Amino acid sequence: MQVEVLSGTTDTNLQVALTGELDALTAPKLYENLNRLLQEHPNTRKIILNCRGLTYLSSAGAGILLMSIDNLAPKGISLELKDVTPEVYNILDLLGLTKLMPVNHV
Amino acid sequence: MSKASLSFGASTENLPIIRHFVQTHLRAKVPSSVLLNQITVAVEELCANSILHGNAENPQKELRLELHVQKHTLHIYLYDPAPPYDLHAYPSEPTLLRAGTNRPGGFGIYLIRRLIDRIDVRKCKGGSSVYHMVKQLPHEGGS
Repeated sequence: MQVEVLSGTTDTNLQVALTGELDALTAPKLYENLNRLLQEHPNTRKIILNCRGLTYLSSAGAGILLMSIDNLAPKGISLELKDVTPEVYNILDLLGLTKLMPVNHV
Repeated sequence: MSKASLSFGASTENLPIIRHFVQTHLRAKVPSSVLLNQITVAVEELCANSILHGNAENPQKELRLELHVQKHTLHIYLYDPAPPYDLHAYPSEPTLLRAGTNRPGGFGIYLIRRLIDRIDVRKCKGGSSVYHMVKQLPHEGGS
């Protein structure tokens, strides 16, 4: 799982590319990385995760996204997923996460 | 009937190997990438539960996964040295899991129930268990 800050990032919009597989092994690393990036970008109001390179998502990955939504909302920060593959979108949708945050699929 | 088996230690490091095994064996039989992903997710969720909860991530504990394809029916067996857990003792809706917790749980079982046609577990001699999942595969040509 690779997490890379994209060039479209502004003072308030943090754009991040996710590449690889998000499972029980890698999900905690994503959570750590997002927290670190928020410390580096303290004025962030919206995090946009570009998921074009995210090839797999398990329940552990979905759980980390849900935990992030819950932790970020009280701080006034929203989370959005962009360019999600059909396979990953299907799992997010089954778990109801597409109703909890904006999810745009390719 | 085609059969394939994989033995692995109870470590999350083995999850990518499990996924690769499932996809390699079933790719030719499951043309839809979304369906193949659903089966992969269900198998991984079952294995991850056994690795994390049943065997406390002890890589010395060995599990065996078997995939049997019989005509248009996929049978998935997981032989687990740990005792079985109650597959039905979890909330049936994922949104319930958010209430009052700061960490969601039970997503894996929920996904298995949604993605697989049938699942049961059998307790074996010595306290080990065998999980059995069944999934109907589409007929070639969509009929």
